Amino acid sequence: MANIGVDVGGTFTDLILESESIGGNSAGVIVHKVPSTPEDQSIAVIRGITEICEMAGVALGDIKKVVHGTTIATNAVIEYDGAEVGMLTTRGFRDILLLARGKRPHNFSMQFDVPWQSKPLVKRRNRIVISERILPPDGRIEVALDEDEVRAAAELLKKRGVDAVIICFIYSFLNNTHEQRAKEIVQEILPDTYVSCSSEVADVIREYERFSTAAMNAFIGPRTSFYLRNLQSALRSEGVKAEIRLMQSNGGVTTIEGGSERPVTILMSGPAGGVIGGKWAGDLSGVENLITVDIGGTSADISVVPGGEVRIMNPRDTNVGGYPILVPMIDLTTIGAGGGSIAYVDEGGAFRVGPRSAGADPGPACYGKGGTEATVTDAQVVLGRLDAEQFLGGGVAIDPALSAKAIESNLCGKLDMSIEEAALGIIRVINSNMALEIRANSVAKGIDPREYSLVAFGGAGPLHGVALAKTVAAREVLVPPAPGINAATGLLATDMQYEFTRSVLITITEADAGELEALNKQLDELVALAADALAADGVTERERQFTRIAECRYQGQGFELRAEFPVGVIDGDNKQVLIDNFHESHRRDYGHAFEDQNVEIITLRVIALAAMAKLTWPKLAAGTGENPKDAVMYVRPTTFDGGETLETPRYDRAKLAAGQSVSGPAIVIQHDSTTLIPPGHTAEISEFGNLHVREKA
Amino acid sequence: MSQKEVDPITLQVIGGALHTIAKEMGHVLYRMSYSSIIRESEDLGAGLFDADFNTLCESDSTPMHIGSIPAYLRGIDETLHDPWQPGDVVIHNHPYYGASHSPDIAAVAPVYYEGELVGFSANTAHHVDIGAATPGLIIDVPDVFAEGMLFKGVKLYEGGVRNRALWHFMGTNTRVPDQVLGDIEAQVASVELGVKRFVELLDSYGKETVFAATQQLMDYSESMLRKRIAEIPDGEYRAEGFLDDDGRNRGKPLPVKVCVRIDGDSAEVDLTGSSPQVPTAFNVPFEGSTKVACYFAFRAMLLDTATISEHVPQNEGSFRPIKVIAPKGSIFNPIYPAAAEARFNQIQRVVDCIIKALAPAIPDKVTAGCSADVSAIAYSGVRPEGNYWIFIEVNEGSYGGRPKSDGPDGIEELMRNTRNNPIEDLGMHLPLICDRYELRDDVMPGAGEYRGGIGMVKVQRYLTDGYLTHESDRHDDAPWGFLGGSDGSGARVQKFNIATPDKIEELPAKVHGLRNLKGDCIGVLNACGGGYGDPLARSPEQVREDVLDDFCTVEHAREAYGVILNAELEIDASATEARRGEMRG
Repeated sequence: MANIGVDVGGTFTDLILESESIGGNSAGVIVHKVPSTPEDQSIAVIRGITEICEMAGVALGDIKKVVHGTTIATNAVIEYDGAEVGMLTTRGFRDILLLARGKRPHNFSMQFDVPWQSKPLVKRRNRIVISERILPPDGRIEVALDEDEVRAAAELLKKRGVDAVIICFIYSFLNNTHEQRAKEIVQEILPDTYVSCSSEVADVIREYERFSTAAMNAFIGPRTSFYLRNLQSALRSEGVKAEIRLMQSNGGVTTIEGGSERPVTILMSGPAGGVIGGKWAGDLSGVENLITVDIGGTSADISVVPGGEVRIMNPRDTNVGGYPILVPMIDLTTIGAGGGSIAYVDEGGAFRVGPRSAGADPGPACYGKGGTEATVTDAQVVLGRLDAEQFLGGGVAIDPALSAKAIESNLCGKLDMSIEEAALGIIRVINSNMALEIRANSVAKGIDPREYSLVAFGGAGPLHGVALAKTVAAREVLVPPAPGINAATGLLATDMQYEFTRSVLITITEADAGELEALNKQLDELVALAADALAADGVTERERQFTRIAECRYQGQGFELRAEFPVGVIDGDNKQVLIDNFHESHRRDYGHAFEDQNVEIITLRVIALAAMAKLTWPKLAAGTGENPKDAVMYVRPTTFDGGETLETPRYDRAKLAAGQSVSGPAIVIQHDSTTLIPPGHTAEISEFGNLHVREKA
Repeated sequence: MSQKEVDPITLQVIGGALHTIAKEMGHVLYRMSYSSIIRESEDLGAGLFDADFNTLCESDSTPMHIGSIPAYLRGIDETLHDPWQPGDVVIHNHPYYGASHSPDIAAVAPVYYEGELVGFSANTAHHVDIGAATPGLIIDVPDVFAEGMLFKGVKLYEGGVRNRALWHFMGTNTRVPDQVLGDIEAQVASVELGVKRFVELLDSYGKETVFAATQQLMDYSESMLRKRIAEIPDGEYRAEGFLDDDGRNRGKPLPVKVCVRIDGDSAEVDLTGSSPQVPTAFNVPFEGSTKVACYFAFRAMLLDTATISEHVPQNEGSFRPIKVIAPKGSIFNPIYPAAAEARFNQIQRVVDCIIKALAPAIPDKVTAGCSADVSAIAYSGVRPEGNYWIFIEVNEGSYGGRPKSDGPDGIEELMRNTRNNPIEDLGMHLPLICDRYELRDDVMPGAGEYRGGIGMVKVQRYLTDGYLTHESDRHDDAPWGFLGGSDGSGARVQKFNIATPDKIEELPAKVHGLRNLKGDCIGVLNACGGGYGDPLARSPEQVREDVLDDFCTVEHAREAYGVILNAELEIDASATEARRGEMRG
């Protein structure tokens, strides 16, 4: 029996397979890469699965589980290629999706674009107002739902042939009866259309964000569910009987059905896999405090994992393509910095690297595919850090002369620098950009990097890892065993996870017995919902774990932070545990807490988790000694960040054994990644093959 | 400061670090604050400054605040009662000593390095209430003392010790002490963070390198703007408009006159000929507001972040090429003790007139007339428990049509860019309920090849008796059309009671301390932008799309665009051709 992780990226689709028997021998893990097929992602997915099974000698019918990281939902947003959506909304509030939060995307601009206006998720013509009114703070009905208007609207949308309908009423988080009744009526008239209510997709306060989440879900829904169901049936017809799971933005997995119904939960599927993969690598070495840095061709994803806990982004910051999405996402930041980032001198004479990227096509100048601008990869080539014949295991031909030419013609004259100086400059600027982002996600949020390991992965991560760790003062760099396909690794290293939310506004500091009783009732209901979701996936009662969270703020503030409830019924005594947890969150994020202030709960959240078996990585054979000679491939000059050029041995990572160490200057080469170990640093090889690079004492 | 040239790579690294510090300072301030105007609207600015008060970096929050802090620092320098010492935090808001206007209180901490004062960490934030004549906002007041608490270089912390008496005094002199004191706490946390980060930066790169780099970054921003100014032909460019009134003398419009003189790579904005100062609070502090508006206009047009991919650092350099003239005693440079709190509509119109003046010279970089106003509205009342509630709402405007795109609808324009407040959140906490929030349907925006943006309408209903002050304009002088586009539509304000929704009273743009009863509703309908280019150049298919989306009526399609749609809303091609031929004459 085998498990497969398959992660679709812009250029490559990465695969990992673990099996109790590889090629008829003992248990093990193999990895593979195939070119992505952007016109239909499933082609590369199926090809990759077929190939990796052949490589492993595993029959397709013997695959037990396939976990998939997909960009299908994200692409629908980026390409603005989604469904025609109809919307029923409260009379007087037709343009909530158009007005958004009123703030334009640029401060200093006249010609700016407003994505939510130029590319609306629901066209204005399809936003139909309905007489109904629910009032705060208790959800009482001021104007009853006009059912005739609902019918007329549904008929009109039917005539227009919309693909999906959403029902979004103001204050529905207090009372969803109008939304539910309208849904029934619409479904009578449009029985085959996907109909959803805002309070079902995101049952939380704040009209624009709730409506936008519902609209996005409907917009990407049909395309995503078509892809997922199509993939499932294609795999079935190839003889794959495995259960298929999808990585969600929160780092947990869901089913094909879950992803089809709530595609908003898989918008950050790919990057989430990377973070989970980084955490998995940390677990292999027993390291809990991690900063994960995933550097690819065009961008870098950065996330901080304190104490082994993947952090969830503040719901105020979760957006995709400029549209707010109220679903839990792993707290990660993406910046335009990668191997393909272009270096240039602008007209004011400033030296720039990124965010513009040469991407995969034409790619860096050294690819010889027509790129003439200098990229970060070209700088690495010029500095002797990427060897031409080793690029992607020799799979991609590169020409170092083109790198040198690109740097010389674009930069040297304008900067009055040699090729080598300019190349070092490119590396320094790109590393600085990434380091600032790491600081913004760590130091700025009360995290001390000196207690953290920087996990460097993605094709380019291990080249930059040591320099980044040094700049942000992280304690070491950790390079996972297969850094080039780390996100796919993450797919086999996570749990099943569902989240359910409900808005309740309770001043917990002053809550009386009645309010606490209502609170406990709401929590119980959410736990029951979450239990149902896991049960539907065949998770037994024993395997289920629940975490109960309150999103709180000081009364009068506008932003919430998460705090965990203590176990059991919440009463007048143990509610203080929650309040203290909130003060602690506030102190961590902002540097201080207001302990004399009232704490208000805004949203309840229950996270249901079912642990899944984690990827078992084989232990490396044990070895001893420093700089093992039999692992040395050859020696070449390499230029390091300090400008010194040293004869530098290349080590074949496959030949390094656990317990050995490699001291810099050195380069460790594997199929799809290169680790740079500067002078003064040593890499130790762990039991499971992680490289731990530290400064020599 | 230093003659040493910093290499371009180190320069980029230090520039990035400064940008990140400003961002972090802004983040702490708005996330920690209490009042909705700071936490939701992000009506704030934060940054680092050198000892000569030059901006080194500033948060990208609200344009009005960006560039206003140096004037505060000069004002503090003039008025500080005891010399600076480490651990100080000074507060300052005096409109005749550099403040943007009195509710925007600055918090400033000195930065010491190796025993020497090397710069400042500072921020400004709009406070809900500083104890002025009426809750939240003011219009019709006699002088600057009616604006509430005035601080001139006052030490809130002296050598790290909080002045508890001052703290107590502030709490006593605002209607909403919890919000104001909570927000000041957030400001202090933000400037303290700035001091810490500034020192870390100096430790990392050395004082000499950092200050040499900051000089070069200013030169860079300056040269980027000068290059663009140089592309505009030399000469005088004029435009004018008028403001509705001063909030007291109804029906007396106030002229705004702008002359832009381009001379090589420099520009001068001369406001001579604009209205004399007025007897209400409808005047503009010169240093902290008038000048900042002029800087904004050039930067937004010429270093447009949507068309220029490079980040041009926000610092003093972009101000240097621009000189601003406003005669003493004019509405843009009032003489003490005139009140000057309600200044935003006027500066928006300065920006609007600069755009209008330069539009013929740089038609691809401008918009047709934007709403160029602000609807800032203070709803307030006294709760049954005896304490005040105050909510300041800022209602979105609209943009004029543009060279290649329609003007955005219902959006913060020009000098303002704050977030609106979730209506559901407000309804849970205030005796006020929003009954309507969508685009206007009573008027059409300016027609053009690219249409003007449509203003929004918002109706708020009082659930208990309360007060209202509204600072607004642009009822009478509609946004201008450009290159054949037609003018947009002016704003209006309506009042009615929920029990008698047909009995509508039209209110002037400025209302001061109006008493409202339970069930009274205030409807704000904001201006629609002007059109850009000949409406007949807009394709009939696009006009039909607009009609399907109710951005345009069937009648307007015929009258303004010459597009005839039948009952099924299909284009009648021959009738359209005939109508367009007739309109072309």
